[in-house]
Amino acid sequence: MTPPSDGPGGGTSAARPAGAHGVDVQAAVAAVWRLESARITAAVVRITRDVGAAEEVAQDAVVAALQQWPATGVPANPAAWLTTVAKRRAVDRVRRAEREERGQADLAREQDTAQPGPPAGEADEPADVLRLLFLTCHPVLPPQSRIALTLRLLGGLTPDEIARALLLDTTTVTRRIAEGKRLLARDRVDFTAALDAGEVADRVGPVLEVVYLLFNEGYAATLGKDLIRPDLCLTALRLGRTLAHLAPDEPEAHGLVALMELQASRQAARTGPDGEPVQLHEQNRGRWDPLLIRRGFEAMLRARDLLAGRRPGPPGPYLLQAAIAVCHAQARTAGETDWAQIAALYEALAHLLPTPVVQLNRAVAVGRAEGPQAGLDLADSLHLDPALQDYHLLPSVRADLLQRLGRTAEARAEFRRAAGLTRNAAERAFLLRRAEGGQDAHRGRELGPATVEFLAQAALDPASRRSYEQTLRRLRTGLGESAALDEITADQIARVFATAWGDAAPATWNRHRGALRSFAAWAGLTTAADAVPRRAAAPAAGPAPLPRSSLRALLGDSTVPARDRLLWTLLHESGAAVAAVLALDVEDLDLPHHRARSGGAYLCWHPRTTPLVRELARGRDHGPLFLSSRRPGPARTPPDPADRCPVTGRRRLSYERAEYLFKQATRRLDPAGRGFTLRRLRARPARPAR
Amino acid sequence: MRYLMTARSTDTTPAPDEKLFVEMAAFVEEMTAAGILLATGGLAPEGVRLVSRGDDLTVTDGPFTEAKEAVAGFALVEVASKEEAVELARRFRRIVGDGESIVQQVFGP
Repeated sequence: MTPPSDGPGGGTSAARPAGAHGVDVQAAVAAVWRLESARITAAVVRITRDVGAAEEVAQDAVVAALQQWPATGVPANPAAWLTTVAKRRAVDRVRRAEREERGQADLAREQDTAQPGPPAGEADEPADVLRLLFLTCHPVLPPQSRIALTLRLLGGLTPDEIARALLLDTTTVTRRIAEGKRLLARDRVDFTAALDAGEVADRVGPVLEVVYLLFNEGYAATLGKDLIRPDLCLTALRLGRTLAHLAPDEPEAHGLVALMELQASRQAARTGPDGEPVQLHEQNRGRWDPLLIRRGFEAMLRARDLLAGRRPGPPGPYLLQAAIAVCHAQARTAGETDWAQIAALYEALAHLLPTPVVQLNRAVAVGRAEGPQAGLDLADSLHLDPALQDYHLLPSVRADLLQRLGRTAEARAEFRRAAGLTRNAAERAFLLRRAEGGQDAHRGRELGPATVEFLAQAALDPASRRSYEQTLRRLRTGLGESAALDEITADQIARVFATAWGDAAPATWNRHRGALRSFAAWAGLTTAADAVPRRAAAPAAGPAPLPRSSLRALLGDSTVPARDRLLWTLLHESGAAVAAVLALDVEDLDLPHHRARSGGAYLCWHPRTTPLVRELARGRDHGPLFLSSRRPGPARTPPDPADRCPVTGRRRLSYERAEYLFKQATRRLDPAGRGFTLRRLRARPARPAR
Repeated sequence: MRYLMTARSTDTTPAPDEKLFVEMAAFVEEMTAAGILLATGGLAPEGVRLVSRGDDLTVTDGPFTEAKEAVAGFALVEVASKEEAVELARRFRRIVGDGESIVQQVFGP
């Protein structure tokens, strides 16, 4: 015997004795069994041709391990040990049965050639595992037996563990397993039948169903104390991945894996610190598991490739649900969710799976994509569906839509109704809170989505939108996209303001304050509106101008991009406001007269600057004159097309960015080391008082 | 639950040969297909060491003299129990031969 002293548990610092005797044998056997039961049982069924006998033989092997390993130590290759013992016992059992049969048959006649004996045909491990899955999910079995048998034979769980996982008692589980074995024996379901592509395609459906049922059973149980229930997710994921590996041409197998991986990726974010459920749009997306998301994406791509190639056809229900999960996973914030796409996917899903729950989810998506009224119309069409009469999500969805329509009293009543129907205490409390806060339409909302909605208002003119955007972006980065609106305190806001604009000019400060107040008024946040005091304008008119020498050095610095130097030159020569210069469009330019239209007036510059302006605008006949240097990501595409260059797609250079660049460039000139603001470029020497 | 397995070489760790590569590739493929293996990789012996003490941060380029102490490879696995992780490490060690592995639970994200 060679104790595995070089094993992972046998490090030099191990407190307990190194080697096999220090290992908890029972836990080790259970672990090996969970990893290997599918393969071992499949190999044994090939010999016995009978699931019942195979299960018993396999169990005998486990018992033998439990008896021998404490004395001998865990063998170096535990899986091989179990397989060998199980196979040997299976062969013994078949021979014994043969002998008995022959003994009786001797009296009448010589035995025919019905040889049950050792394996007919080549043993093909992976295919045998797939056959075993088809067997335990066979249509002759009632659904509960399929689940119990699958967990028992492929998941490697004991009847006791299965009972705990499914919230049943052990006798019920034992009965269901026995029932399953009896029915398979009665119908003489053939284990060794050839598995051609058509056969696999026909039989994969019920397996997918069992796997997803197991997954949901575990997923719903995250709140429970017994870990064996959430553990079902892991079992289901393993079964699903194994199935996709063994039946690689089945698009729906990959679709199901994608769906499960993506749902599992949100596991950690689904509950709050007190165990209360956190809805998808309120989850902290930073807690989503990127590894699982990536695996989900990969599985979905495999399914899509199959549908585009070897298995042409429309996507099935699992793939559609996975695609919806992908839409959520791709949105960096709840506000960026592509609801139109999700609504379209739900519509396709509703054709394949016209269940009321799918329709209700579709109503939520439509409510987001097309507005609350459209969503409510759909939800109301479900009102009479008996399947939903006790389903708390129907009134909860309606309440949300009613609230967004401003029908507060009706919304409140629906929230209460939903609270009365849910069985989850944390969720009930949440719904009651929403019912109480009925007047406040923005309760429970997040800062990020709220600002997006605010800025999307049609009533805002482009200039204020630009300016507001800057303020709110700072607020979002300071407080977090998912900060709950009604929990933001005046202190928090004051801190963000002090950090960002503490040493800005009073006018800047007050501009940001104005933006904050408009947003607060729109969102109904009384505390936020008064968080920041107004600053009195400095009595001295404007900042001091830059020294001439610095100015010359700056404007002549050839390492600075031409765009920036032109901006600085225009600011200096025209004396116009920074925002006005940045707002210039190419079509405003009047180069022959060395000027540009700006609002109702003209902004003029020195004739020697005109060639530089012409150079910057070359090849364009409209759109912003000053552009940012890179194309924006899709999420940063400006809402106003006038802020985008029609040729390059770049957006208008922002005040923030321009200011930052100037500060960087002038840092070494500033004795304080901070760099100068753009306003100092347009400053004129103070006139001597008369 | 997730476990990180790190492997260290010792004086008697054999140099990898063709057989090891084939067996390891099969093992990795099998574990990945089952979704057990989430990420794996080998690590270069040289590296950069960063040590902070108070406000000081020292950055030292490798290689380091105690190179045999260095982690040579890692695997991140998704399993139902510590014992499952240990069983996987056991299989890994059977393939690579002499050496040492550490199995630690990973928390988060």
